[in-house]
Amino acid sequence: MDYSSEVLRRFDLPPGAGELPDGTRGVVRGEAEDRSLGIWVRFDVRVQEGLIRAVRFRLFGCPHAIAAAGLIAEGLEGQPARSLSCLDLRKVASDLDLPAEKYGKLLRIEDALLACWRALGAARD
Amino acid sequence: MSERPLYLDNAATTAVDPAVIEAMIACLGSGGRFENPSSAHPGGASARRLVEAARERIAERVNASPGDIVFTSGATESNNLAILGAFDADERPNRHFVTTRIEHHSVLDTARALEARGIDLTYLDCDAEGVVTPQQVLDAVTDATVLVSIMHVNNEIGVIQDIEAIAQICATRQVRLHVDAAQSAGKIPLDLGGWGVDLCSLTAHKAHGPKGIGALYVADDVVLTPQLHGGEQERGLRAGTLATHQIVGMGKTFELARPDRDGPRLANLRDRLWKGLERIDGVRLNGCADRAAPHILNVCFPGIDGESLRLALADIAVSAGSACASDIPEPSHVLSSLGLSDALAQSSLRLSVGRFTEPADTERAVERIGTEVARLRTLAAGAPAWCSN
Repeated sequence: MDYSSEVLRRFDLPPGAGELPDGTRGVVRGEAEDRSLGIWVRFDVRVQEGLIRAVRFRLFGCPHAIAAAGLIAEGLEGQPARSLSCLDLRKVASDLDLPAEKYGKLLRIEDALLACWRALGAARD
Repeated sequence: MSERPLYLDNAATTAVDPAVIEAMIACLGSGGRFENPSSAHPGGASARRLVEAARERIAERVNASPGDIVFTSGATESNNLAILGAFDADERPNRHFVTTRIEHHSVLDTARALEARGIDLTYLDCDAEGVVTPQQVLDAVTDATVLVSIMHVNNEIGVIQDIEAIAQICATRQVRLHVDAAQSAGKIPLDLGGWGVDLCSLTAHKAHGPKGIGALYVADDVVLTPQLHGGEQERGLRAGTLATHQIVGMGKTFELARPDRDGPRLANLRDRLWKGLERIDGVRLNGCADRAAPHILNVCFPGIDGESLRLALADIAVSAGSACASDIPEPSHVLSSLGLSDALAQSSLRLSVGRFTEPADTERAVERIGTEVARLRTLAAGAPAWCSN
């Protein structure tokens, strides 16, 4: 398996790896998994005043998935909360030069962030 | 000063011993024994003497007669010659082949070629530790069985099969026994004559010899049909000009291969690796500790994605628990036969030590593996149970 330099860099030092402390105000959690694809991912997102202030993730999966989660986590910080629901997965795939067989894992990462978005809505309600 | 690369993949191949290189070089140039060993002139005769001396050295190491050693290009060719040659020489209408599910692909793929010809096959399962019992062989053999083929040391998990007992059963049932001993030379004593093995595949490059040279032990009462045509070399069993430098290299390799001396040293290195790695939470040994070859350790790290583990440890030459011939690695057929899930097979590593492995190498490897396993497990903290099963 070949890896792009961007995947290698983010695999070695994935930005955003970790979690936000339980009970922190404004923090929502979203999770997704697909056993057949060999991925589990969980995001913690802190939103204040409509902006994403911090994103952390845990992930079981391949180097491409780890790099993708890190890239997405890094890119979301400072963005409006609605960004959780409209990721540009094509750009992520392009930035990391992901092979086509890894796209399914990107969709699971998107699912986890959509779960965060729904949790955010529920918290507002 | 940078540290030397960590090479713990000696079950895949080994660095050639300097003494072997020296012996080989002496057969290559115009000042050496480059002549064709089959030529009648004095130079050819000199080359022939070197070939025969190498044959004697190899035979001595495996307790065989020099005349029983047939040179080939390696263990893969030896396996093909033994299996296909035995079946081609047997003209009975209904023929049967017995082997195991954990053989090397050079045996399993040859078995499939026989299957395509209509030969009946029995694949013996191993137990959860990789052991195939003599009783299984006894139960599988029929009056139509032409050949039983079982490897001595498994190349992935290092389990040693009880070839002596299996050979006794085969002799009692008057069935030929072929043994793939590619991993054995220099680590475990081979007593082919004493055990009563009929055919045995050997190679040089797993024991600090050159690639491209091997041998097939053929007991003197065994009839094989050659698979290559174009010369009467090697008792008519293997056509082709003898590669003097390769054969001399293999002879020197076997001369240097001393299980009594090297085996305990290798086992000590393997045990150092295991003692360090077993401190990692959840780590499992794949194979059988009581029947382990001294140079191979196969371990599983539950909760780690196999592809991530391989990339994280890309600076260490080890083998993964998968066949990475494609973009999506398939789990090892050997580890699957032990009952490991695809995930556990993928998260397994084979570490194999050799003559040039130092104790400090094992310590570095343990430290590197421990660090990366901890990093990847932290990254996956909170993952569901299926990630570890």
